[in-house]
Amino acid sequence: MKAISAGEVLPSLTVTFRREDLVRYAGASGDFNPIHWSDRMAAALGLPGVIAHGMLTMASAVRVVTDWLDDPADLVEYGVRFTKPIVVPDDADGAEVTFSAKVDKVADGLAEFDITAIFGGEKVLGRSRAVVRVS
Amino acid sequence: MTIDATMVGRSYAAAESYQVGREKIREFAAAIGDDNPAYTGDDAVAPPTFAFMLGSRALEQLLNDEELGLRLDRIVHGAQKFSYTRPIKAGDDIAATATITTVRKAGDVEVIMYETALTTVDGEPIATSTSTISHNRADA
Repeated sequence: MKAISAGEVLPSLTVTFRREDLVRYAGASGDFNPIHWSDRMAAALGLPGVIAHGMLTMASAVRVVTDWLDDPADLVEYGVRFTKPIVVPDDADGAEVTFSAKVDKVADGLAEFDITAIFGGEKVLGRSRAVVRVS
Repeated sequence: MTIDATMVGRSYAAAESYQVGREKIREFAAAIGDDNPAYTGDDAVAPPTFAFMLGSRALEQLLNDEELGLRLDRIVHGAQKFSYTRPIKAGDDIAATATITTVRKAGDVEVIMYETALTTVDGEPIATSTSTISHNRADA
């Protein structure tokens, strides 16, 4: 088990979501909502374009913490709010999202991390928090 | 009918359990681009958000309750939280039950919170998933 103190920051992680990544996530997760692969259906719902699955963003964000842990099983709690959609264009560049995490507090063998997700200069997750067992 | 606060407490059990397979865990980890070695091999555990998928059969039952009048294509996922008792492993046979915990209305929009209990079919607690969804009834 790892040790850490309040205020410490974990190495950040930058992930690029391309259309093929959304198609792959749709297949693996069973979430075939067309707003994640059809510009036509996304526009019909008033979205600027195809958006990434919130659960894919959530899965990527927690990697900042689980990459640092010796064992991902030390994660005891993880929650996010989906505050802004990540629009994924149909091109080679895709959408680049950068995740970072900072320890808010450590008490009773548990560390609480605040996770930040930045896309296009803006936060896309709110109240993103992971609680892990530490030594 | 439409959902309202009197429906808080309604519970929906998944029609079938979900048997977690090693290859499904690997496929899911690959799809989220996560090469953590914990997610492959004979002793593989599932990535944390895999738990959401395990609740989907219970959510299906909730959406099938005609008295709630919800449509999947009018739902936006607003917030998600997981509390883990132990990691999900290949070989687990998981039962899911979703319970409506909060219903708030704001015009055409209904904000619904539901909690999904994930246990093994033998009753061992695995995780609890708390989801907040917004359902927009405009033009319905």
